[in-house]
Amino acid sequence: MSASKAKISVKGLKKSFGANEVLKGLDVDIVEGEVVCVIGPSGSGKSTFLRCLNKLEDTSGGTVEVNGFDLTDPKVDLNAVRQNIGMVFQHFNLFPHMTVLQNIMLAPVELKKLDKAAARAKGMDLLKRVDLVEKADARPGSLSGGQKQRVAIARALAMNPDIMLFDEATSALDPEMVGEVLQVIRDLAAEGMTMVVVTHEMGFAREVADRVIFMDDGYICEEGTPDAMFSNAQQPRLQEFLAKVL
Amino acid sequence: MWRRRGGTFAALAAFFTVAIMFFGIGGASALTAPATLADQSAPLPLGSTVQTGAVHTDVKGKTFAIATDTTFAPFEFRDGSGELVGIDMDLLRAIATDQGFEVDVKSLGFDAALQALQSNQVSGVIAGMSITDERKKVFDFSAPYFDSGVQMAVTKNNQDIKSYEDLKGKTVVAKRGSEGETFANSIKGEYGFTVKALADSATMYDDVKAGNSVAVFDDYPVLAYGVSQNNGLKIVTEKEQGSSYGFAVNKGQNQDLLAAFDSGLANLKANGEYQKILDKYLAKSEVEEQGGFFQLVKDSFPALMKGLWLTMVATVLSLAIALVLGVVFGFFKVAESRILRGIATTYVAIFRGTPLLVQAFFFYFGLPQMTGQPLSVLAAGVITLSLNAGAYMTEIVRGGIQSVDAGQLEASRSLGLGYVTSMRRVVVPQAVKIMTPSFINQFVITLKDTSLLAVIGFAELTYQGQQIYASNFRTGETLLIVAALYFIVITALTQLSNVVDRKFNK
Ligand SMILES: Nc1ncnc2c1ncn2[C@@H]1O[C@H](COP(=O)(O)OP(=O)(O)O)[C@@H](O)[C@H]1O
Ligand SMILES: [Mg+2]
Repeated sequence: MSASKAKISVKGLKKSFGANEVLKGLDVDIVEGEVVCVIGPSGSGKSTFLRCLNKLEDTSGGTVEVNGFDLTDPKVDLNAVRQNIGMVFQHFNLFPHMTVLQNIMLAPVELKKLDKAAARAKGMDLLKRVDLVEKADARPGSLSGGQKQRVAIARALAMNPDIMLFDEATSALDPEMVGEVLQVIRDLAAEGMTMVVVTHEMGFAREVADRVIFMDDGYICEEGTPDAMFSNAQQPRLQEFLAKVL
Repeated sequence: MWRRRGGTFAALAAFFTVAIMFFGIGGASALTAPATLADQSAPLPLGSTVQTGAVHTDVKGKTFAIATDTTFAPFEFRDGSGELVGIDMDLLRAIATDQGFEVDVKSLGFDAALQALQSNQVSGVIAGMSITDERKKVFDFSAPYFDSGVQMAVTKNNQDIKSYEDLKGKTVVAKRGSEGETFANSIKGEYGFTVKALADSATMYDDVKAGNSVAVFDDYPVLAYGVSQNNGLKIVTEKEQGSSYGFAVNKGQNQDLLAAFDSGLANLKANGEYQKILDKYLAKSEVEEQGGFFQLVKDSFPALMKGLWLTMVATVLSLAIALVLGVVFGFFKVAESRILRGIATTYVAIFRGTPLLVQAFFFYFGLPQMTGQPLSVLAAGVITLSLNAGAYMTEIVRGGIQSVDAGQLEASRSLGLGYVTSMRRVVVPQAVKIMTPSFINQFVITLKDTSLLAVIGFAELTYQGQQIYASNFRTGETLLIVAALYFIVITALTQLSNVVDRKFNK
């Protein structure tokens, strides 16, 4: 095990879909409380990388250690590891047949972490945090995109994870709703949550990130502090990319 | 060609052969159809003396199980109230009364009756069975109680065809595998007509009335009974090529019963009761016009309701089992394990890739021959329907699960919930909603498919309808009533399912 107290330690990570190698050997260490933003062109492997961090994808090579557990080891209890990692998806993936509160309470109750009453209290707490108390009994279908994503964040927080993964959490939102979701993420960052945030919001990345990773074609092309990356890009690929998006 | 109604069986045997070949099991022995009894060398008790004519008093007060056919009007068939009647039945009961014994009649079907006798499950068989040399090797027969023979009939108002000479260039119809067919074929060259074979009497008569063929060759008692029922035909020739019917016991066994049958028969002939029974079914009763449609509805209602009940029982049982099969194999189909997916795919391929009829024949005729374990017709029917519907249910379940967005399972798994919990709480509830219309659809299909079980003698609604027009020859009207019953039940159940669906799957 490495000497650093890395919460996430990725070494030589490779991932192929059939003959298509999507991740071509990534090395990343993320320490506790660190906020890492991942940027890069579409199709460069950002989502795949993120999904390897909680093993929604099987890896093809290398190791992924989270909280000291090697996810590539088949003997590792994935469910236990995943309880410590909250994930927020671009398309929310709320459970449409449950109310907002039931969405949040599902994991704590099913995993017997909390009894129903405690889970309900916890759920209401989380809803207060994302400012949606009045929607507790609504169905996800009746919410706006921004509200849905805030519920999804509350749901991801229900098991008290110490790592949060965001995969383009605002990309599917109408512009006027982006702000409310970013604010929740910003708050989490301020509380010291360890986070990996895949985003197209460059301004936001610059503001909250401790470190920015630029991915291109399955490689980490360049990484550094937001200032270094946005004001002083070294790689032509990154310069090209920033010229397009800024 | 002495098998009565060999035609039906030949068709069954053919289907069955296909089933066997498909499943790749069984050698020639498994293909021996039970009907070819004459060819089977059944074990014969040795050294038993055959007593005839002796007066036996040992039968007094005893009860004998006697097997018979299901429907062979006018020898045995069910009247409107479902009671088994006919020449065989009336004779048997009269003889039993005369000789002081009791009978317990088992209506099994012709082939099953012979098998039951051979395996000593019954003491005797009376089923309009021709006395043949082949059969005499296995059975002891009573004195003949009826002389049959082939006759030709045409529509009631046909004035052109009065003899075989008038058939030149025409088509006639005969029952497949029957004496009538053999006879018609033996003279068709001489008189220059064509013979078409059909499976049962009611269909043949309809064929003649529809003008598809000009005349029918059929057994005299069957024809005479049909005419007495105003089936719209008239007989125009004398009896040809007669055979005699007898009551049978296993060779060397139940000789006292056989003797009692013979002396009872002699008594009935002497006192005129025998002729009365024959007249009851065969005498031309032009006076008796058939009742109207509503009379038919009223008369057939009890039997049809019995059939409808069995239809519902078979449907509900089959669907319940099919649902379990569908869920199990449906999950196999979306499983990660290649083996489980393979098992489910094979199951679906077999039961979707073969006709339901072949499956029914296989489970009712084929499997028992291979395992030696007879299946009741209800059991065979339910097994067939549930395995068949289960295959379609599997696809419905698979489709339902796969139509739930993959992100749902991922979101659940990312929370740390296991596969089973995620399926149970997140995927399945959404899949069920999607699947409900297909389930209702399958429900209706299975209900209708029960009608196919009529061919293995399962007494559901269609079968009851067939039984009714086999004895009253009112095919069209009877089928109309049967169809209306299906329509009403299916419409009502579909409406009910939709209400339930709307209520629970908002
Ligand atoms: N489940 C999958 N099966 C096959 N190819 C995939 C799958 N998921 C992603 N890919 C491919 O992997 C590459 C990277 O995808 P992704 O990680 O989604 O990129 P990004 O999130 O950076 O846009 C793309 O070429 C995509 O087509
Ligand atoms: Mg992506």
